[in-house]
Amino acid sequence: MKLPFLVLAALTVATPAPARVKLVALPERARVVVALTHPEATLVEEERILTLQPGVNQVDFSWRDVNIDGASIQFRALTSPDEVVVLNTSYPPNENALVWAISSPAAREERVRISYLLAGLSRDVVYKAVAEPDERTLTLRSYLRLRNDSGEDLPDAELGIGYGANLRKSLAHEEVLEMLSERIPDLPIKKVLTWDAARQPWDPEYEKKTVGLPLAYVLKNDRDSKLGEHTLLPGKVRLFIKTKDQPEKEGGPPGEGVAFTGEDWAGLTPVDRELKLSLGQSRDVKVVQRRTKNDRTDIRRNTANQDVLWNTDEIYQIEIENFKKAPTDLVLVEHVPGYWRMVENSHPRQFEKKDAFTFEYHLTLPPETNGTNKTTVTFNLQRLNVQGNEPAAY
Amino acid sequence: MKTKSVRAQVATLFAAKKSKSDPAISQATRRFGLRLSLLTAAVALAPALAPARINVVALPGRDTVQLTIYNSADLTLVKETRVLTLRRGLNKLEFSWANTLIDPTSVEFRPLTHADAVDVLDISFPPRVTNTLEWRIHSDFAGEVQVEIRYFTSGITWSADYVVEAARDEKTMALAGNVRVNNQSGEDYENAQVRLVVGVIRLVEDIAQLARQGRPGTLLPTSAPVSAVGGEFYARRALALKDASEAFDKLENRPREIIKEGVSEYFLYTVAGRDTIPTGWSKRLPSFQTPTVPITSYYKYEKERWGDRVQRFYRFTNSVPSRLGREPLPDGAVKAFRLVTDDHLYGFVGSTSVKYIPINETVEMELGSDPEVLVKPKLTNWVKTDLAFDNNGNVKGWTTKETWEIEVQNSKDLDVVLDVRRNFPGDWALTTDARFEKVDANKVKFVLPLKSRAQQTFNYEVTTRQGTNATR
Repeated sequence: MKLPFLVLAALTVATPAPARVKLVALPERARVVVALTHPEATLVEEERILTLQPGVNQVDFSWRDVNIDGASIQFRALTSPDEVVVLNTSYPPNENALVWAISSPAAREERVRISYLLAGLSRDVVYKAVAEPDERTLTLRSYLRLRNDSGEDLPDAELGIGYGANLRKSLAHEEVLEMLSERIPDLPIKKVLTWDAARQPWDPEYEKKTVGLPLAYVLKNDRDSKLGEHTLLPGKVRLFIKTKDQPEKEGGPPGEGVAFTGEDWAGLTPVDRELKLSLGQSRDVKVVQRRTKNDRTDIRRNTANQDVLWNTDEIYQIEIENFKKAPTDLVLVEHVPGYWRMVENSHPRQFEKKDAFTFEYHLTLPPETNGTNKTTVTFNLQRLNVQGNEPAAY
Repeated sequence: MKTKSVRAQVATLFAAKKSKSDPAISQATRRFGLRLSLLTAAVALAPALAPARINVVALPGRDTVQLTIYNSADLTLVKETRVLTLRRGLNKLEFSWANTLIDPTSVEFRPLTHADAVDVLDISFPPRVTNTLEWRIHSDFAGEVQVEIRYFTSGITWSADYVVEAARDEKTMALAGNVRVNNQSGEDYENAQVRLVVGVIRLVEDIAQLARQGRPGTLLPTSAPVSAVGGEFYARRALALKDASEAFDKLENRPREIIKEGVSEYFLYTVAGRDTIPTGWSKRLPSFQTPTVPITSYYKYEKERWGDRVQRFYRFTNSVPSRLGREPLPDGAVKAFRLVTDDHLYGFVGSTSVKYIPINETVEMELGSDPEVLVKPKLTNWVKTDLAFDNNGNVKGWTTKETWEIEVQNSKDLDVVLDVRRNFPGDWALTTDARFEKVDANKVKFVLPLKSRAQQTFNYEVTTRQGTNATR
């Protein structure tokens, strides 16, 4: 077992130099707390009971094959912090060690806390989500996965992840430990399809394969969603949906099973923010976008007869077919560079300007609206003072 | 002190000490360090070219040694005193050093007693010998003379470091300052008075380079000081830890006081008492400990500097109202923790370094990014107007107007202050209801206090005149 070695060497009272050094038995760790709250550093705090003698005691702290940041080591006396003080710290050459000279006015047992940063203890957050068959809610489980390559065994340690109560676990060197940290049932979700004019083909007729629309679950880190207590940490999310399995016995009740529907990386999601999890494509919604008018107007030419400035008059038509038997939420994303204004818009209530160069339509498509019963969105916009070098992003 | 009349080249300092020092230590240190021998010649009574009667005196160890260590350069001024027994007439004093980093051009000799009667006639660096010099000293006095020997050495450095212990509400911190002396000089300094200089000095030649030359103006192959290994290590370990027991003998069972005083453009820290720092070792001493220093938990956002991440700072002032301000704080590394539980467990906040902090200066310790504070700027509208054309009909001037919405969010359990900086190149004008401050010609900052778990937005419009529309 690889552990930091703590050796207490207490100098006897009024020792003539050179000191006669008396070694005292290694005190066991009385408590180990591991703080995993900082994204880039793991802080270990351990408590030990030191038997101090009156006068100056030398406490030798050394470690081998353990990734301790030597510059981070702190010593705090807990029982008598005003009386037990560190006089100085000596660092021997070519060794992972230090020696504290600790003054104590009397012989006593002192509880001390030694804190240090430990490299090699990595933390991942992993999510597993099982959606109900209607895809309106899901059960979210978050797991903390610890990989201990620090060189240090952490027996019976209190693990803090920044929220909730500390978890008490033992984690050996080279052990990977995964533990459930949260389980949120009935978490409301919104299933959304997205058609982005910059990413999806405008006319599926010209494609060899069926065009699928990216599909996502959107959940919100707020109290209405039984979340909102803390920032959701980044991690991989595996998404499943509940299924009915074949009954165990013929004629019996169907069993409960799940099907894997996809996985995504969840980004860091502060409280009150939405988390969008992409999980594949839907091929039951078809979008065809056409620009039916694209005229240059108010053209200004230079003396070489080159167009240097113009306006445009553009009309777009988007035909959407929903082949599903259920209503479907669809977001259409449009990008317009430069200076523009909307002249006419068939769906003003569903229209949302996201930023200077992007707008969206948030539509709920009725079930089975296809063929002659499709949904059609049109808009007419003008781009102004166009020079051909308009910004499209910021 | 005993004077021996034997013909010999050298009597070592450490051999002389052997009788009263730990044999292991003397054994260990024999390979290192300084040698000093006195060859006293009664030349006053002898014919000029006749061989002199030479007396070699076994010398006592250093009576005192003082180290003045600079942190802006690899330089330490060593001052030691010794008692020599001089004869009337010409005395030769040989000073040699091996495996150390002493600058031979810096070695000085000065009598402290009988100064009127003792003159240094010249200094010789003997041929074909390195790391050795010889003083020819004329003395009108026979007997014990206390002398001071001063020289520069490289290889001893010091640095400051700080430990920040922020209160749970991040409104105050306990600030502990430490100084750490690191001795890689090749020489053990026992019971040395340690002084640390905070300040920047000018050097036109590198002390380590001068030391490697062995004698003035000579280029020699590099030789680093030998570090302590093997059995020597334990001897040095005993040496390193010795002063702790001695400190107790003197009932110095409190941390050493570090006395700070201003000297010209420098600040001098004198560590009370004496310390032993063998070569290869370093020693860290508490310099000060100040509880309840007011701090502001300050967050900054500037896309051009840190991208989308918000940086966390602890801001404090090195002033008397902040319970500091007694001296400038030297530059050094900082480890910042925050008390996070009732039983004072730490949360790690971040590591950073601070620059030299003059008295009354407000400083910010940059402690890394904090995802719990969010700034999301959004360009909500972009307009191009006021087109101007040149004689060829090409566009020569235009004006853009950008409308921005800045959304800020604090997901922490603590109130914070947020500083959002925006950069505007060219001929720009800003319109906003939000309070802002112009930092320079192209930068403004919006500083807003943000309550725990609060979100808010502010907006501004920036109009930029481009091409010939620009007037400045």
